[in-house]
Amino acid sequence: MEQPCDLTIEAPRAWDRPAVTVPVLVCLSLVGGRFPSFSIEANLWTLGTGGVLIWLGLGNRVPRRPAPVRLDRGAVWWTLPVVVFVVFEGATFAAAAGDDFPTFSLLADPLLEDGVIRSAGWLAWLSAFWGLVRR
Amino acid sequence: MMRTLAIGGFLVAVALFVAVELAARREGSRIPTLGEVCAYVMRYEVGSVPVGRIGLFGFWWWLGWHFLAR
Repeated sequence: MEQPCDLTIEAPRAWDRPAVTVPVLVCLSLVGGRFPSFSIEANLWTLGTGGVLIWLGLGNRVPRRPAPVRLDRGAVWWTLPVVVFVVFEGATFAAAAGDDFPTFSLLADPLLEDGVIRSAGWLAWLSAFWGLVRR
Repeated sequence: MMRTLAIGGFLVAVALFVAVELAARREGSRIPTLGEVCAYVMRYEVGSVPVGRIGLFGFWWWLGWHFLAR
């Protein structure tokens, strides 16, 4: 007998569970963390993983969480960290003083040369990307 | 001196991101989480083109390429 629509829920896909997605993201991150900056492998891995996530996110292949129709006024608080970051990034970029007044990228580069930190960076990037795809 | 200023400024910005997110996650908070702000931005469409979604995906893709491949 056919069920009424309001009593049926969409069954989650077998692969769309944390037990599957988390190990996949960890494996992708460990592989990505092995590739040094400016290598062809790092470029291809970034373009490949990002491309697949964009492909998933722009289609209807992954169920999405409902988005808010409007934002509360409290959203204005987000401008505070953004403005502070943009001011310092803009000032350091415009000064072009290298290590004397470094941009965020210059500060991050030596940290990301470590394999463990690089893999952690990959995991953070891919996890946030996956979160965006699900939104 | 200027290097310390830059590091301090970026640390303040990161701390503010964390603080606003924590404030947003309190029960009854009127501040949306960063995920909700992103979801709202991604709703923006011009005609049938999901401009907000394409823009945010493109930005995040570039960010990963910039830090992890360049």
